[in-house]
Amino acid sequence: VTYKWLSYTLGVHVNQAKQMLYDYVERKRKENSGAQLHVTYLVAGDLIQNGHVCHKVAVVREDKLEAMKSKLATIASVHVYSIQKALLKDSGPLYNTDYDIVKTNLHNCSKFSAIQCAAAVPRTSAEVSQAQTSLQACSQTQSDMNTVSVPVVNGHGPSTAKQSSQQPKGIMGMFAAKAASKPQDTNKETKPEAKEAPGVSAVSSKPPAKGNIMNNFFGKAAMNKLKVNSVPEQPKEEKEVVKPSVPVAEPESSPNTVVEKPGKKTESARIQQKDKKSKMKRVDKSDNEEERDLENLKKKRKRIKQLQSDSSDEEDVPPSPTPEEEKAPSPPPVPALKTELEPASTEVSAGGRKRKRKRVLKSKMFIDEEEGCM
Amino acid sequence: MFSERAAPTAQGLLAPPSAEASTFARVPVSAYADCSQPFRLGERSFSRQYAHIYAARLIEMRPILEERARQKWGNGVALRKLCELRVGEKCCVVGTLFKAMQLQPSILQEISEEHNLVPQPPLPKYIHPSDELILEDELQRIKLEGAVEVQRLVTGTIFAVYGSEQDDGKFLVEDHCFANLPRPLPWKGPRSDRFVLLVSGLGLGSGSGESLLSMQLLVDVVTGQLGAEGEQSCAAQISRVILAGNLLSQNTQSRDTINKAKYLTKKTQAASVEAVKMLDEILLQLCTSVPVDVMPGEFDPTNYTLPQQPLHHCMLPLASAYSTLRLVTNPYQADVDGIRFLGTSGQNVSDIFKYSSMDDYLEILEWTLLAGHLSPTAPDTLGCYPFYKSDPFILTDCPHVYFCGNAPRFQSKLLEGEDGQQVLLVTVPAFSTTQTACLVNLHNLSCQPISFSGFGAEDDD
Repeated sequence: VTYKWLSYTLGVHVNQAKQMLYDYVERKRKENSGAQLHVTYLVAGDLIQNGHVCHKVAVVREDKLEAMKSKLATIASVHVYSIQKALLKDSGPLYNTDYDIVKTNLHNCSKFSAIQCAAAVPRTSAEVSQAQTSLQACSQTQSDMNTVSVPVVNGHGPSTAKQSSQQPKGIMGMFAAKAASKPQDTNKETKPEAKEAPGVSAVSSKPPAKGNIMNNFFGKAAMNKLKVNSVPEQPKEEKEVVKPSVPVAEPESSPNTVVEKPGKKTESARIQQKDKKSKMKRVDKSDNEEERDLENLKKKRKRIKQLQSDSSDEEDVPPSPTPEEEKAPSPPPVPALKTELEPASTEVSAGGRKRKRKRVLKSKMFIDEEEGCM
Repeated sequence: MFSERAAPTAQGLLAPPSAEASTFARVPVSAYADCSQPFRLGERSFSRQYAHIYAARLIEMRPILEERARQKWGNGVALRKLCELRVGEKCCVVGTLFKAMQLQPSILQEISEEHNLVPQPPLPKYIHPSDELILEDELQRIKLEGAVEVQRLVTGTIFAVYGSEQDDGKFLVEDHCFANLPRPLPWKGPRSDRFVLLVSGLGLGSGSGESLLSMQLLVDVVTGQLGAEGEQSCAAQISRVILAGNLLSQNTQSRDTINKAKYLTKKTQAASVEAVKMLDEILLQLCTSVPVDVMPGEFDPTNYTLPQQPLHHCMLPLASAYSTLRLVTNPYQADVDGIRFLGTSGQNVSDIFKYSSMDDYLEILEWTLLAGHLSPTAPDTLGCYPFYKSDPFILTDCPHVYFCGNAPRFQSKLLEGEDGQQVLLVTVPAFSTTQTACLVNLHNLSCQPISFSGFGAEDDD
């Protein structure tokens, strides 16, 4: 039993605990009952050592107490440290008792201490996250400056080799960068960029949506889709602005191919707009989105197949240069998009002919629709 | 320090329980400013060569040295660059010192095939009678001989020599001088006793439990749980604790994953993980009661090159919740209660120890202060970041307390400078071996060691 253990167990001030121990020892000794108690004391004082005064704090057994007291020039304090029934060979058990009791009470370890510090206030979680985000913002702004203000690249985890938690910051940073220029587009841009970020995070070998090959496959497909869709979304400003506000997007004559898809996108966009900085939610959304994409793709695949049977193979070739052309006049994000798209496309094509066909078909279909609209 | 005030109530706790127990409030942090901004690195690029740091050092220290030279050898002394030297003319030259050492471990020699050398085992000292001193400036270099203590000086020092060039191309030195103490800082110290505790070399994770009880005693004294009332009230005046490096022990550095086969080491954790958890708990106990500054050291999980960056806060989740914890860089500079502290975790001093004949850590510490540079050996034998435009290790302001951690034993000295500077030099011993920490009294710039002991299996001496 050490004084600290007693203090925590009884919930008393440490000094009182020490006094209680002393009192107990005295009473027991007076009673002269058979049980032998071994007491260890704490002695602190000044010791003249090597010519200069050294303050020494020592835990000593009772039999060494007087010897230690005589060694010290001035004694600063003496009190009972602990009481045991058996003679202690070394200070191991003392340390262990204290260690255990402190460990169980880690958060209020100074409650019974004699010194209270006013400054030792735990930081609120807001401050902690602020500190973390300020760190991230610093590094993110650096990466902003490094990459030539290409918001898409900022959002891409692998290209900046940062954690995927940077992506929300990238999006917010891009927000701030573009807020001045395109106030209206911010809404719309979060959507595709936000989508891209989780999509990219799924594609890159970063943890969030990892694990499943299926997942990755659909992640890549989703990313392709997202990229391809985000491009026309940007030029079509008004429609995009309208989009978020309308819950279900059927009546919109948007260039987007799949009818369900815009609806889903706006939903998830809305949801994503609602969360501020939680990467977790984004990851969850990306997971959900991928599942929905999966279903969509299934549906799409059927439709594509139907369309494919209608159209001839020649159309495969011209549409592929046209998407490239289409993308060229688009705002700057596109070249980066393309570069990301190409590796993705090569990966996808490496996967199988089926995937490649799907990708080309997607774009083709989307252009058909576009031309139809126009 | 403690004892005089505490003595009257020393035996107070050897009594039946009193009605109420007194608590003392910790002295509030009156003035703390972290001045170690130059040691923080932002974006790091290692594509530069180290020549820039030497050039920056020379450029920055040249005016100071020229001033000193004029003070020492008269206003009319000729200050020459090496390219302007003429034979026989007495002049003063300012330059960087280079010591050509035979025993210095050289990676080029090791990998050179014609020598077929086995890598040299680390020696305690690398000095050799055949070492030579060479003075370099921007364009040329020249060998030095004469009144210079070859064994004592180390590479990278900037100093001024007074002498003349000989016929054989060597420079005969008659006198030399260093930058000396930088200009003093105004004294804004506290009006009453305030203490700062300096500890270094906690050495957690070493696998030996002897120092664990002492560490617990240290934490208890600082947090006010140990000691009678007098001692506790004195402990309440400790306004800060600075942990100067080597929080983990050298044992945590061994990496079995390199030597052993992968299947053997698959499930093992690095030893430093457990040690960091222990550190977190200890820091939590300290942080709930006193502001703590944690400096990384040689064996701590941070970068190897100087200046070492602060430990990352995610390693210490429990303690980071408290705002009293501050994770700081390795050469650390701060204004505590108006007193300027400057110190390192000891890597600079131990490196100079290896390459110089100076044996005493305190002497080396004093010498670095006089040379005006924290670690002259920095890019040469001690890892350093390739700075480009500036050298943050140059001492621009004279600190009031100058310390180095992980010294073999405790030493302290009050140094008086010519311009009225007063510097307290403290070598903080490694706690894991000596169980001693240092208490610095900010009121009168004095320092007292405080040592802890439990009782072991054998009797005390």
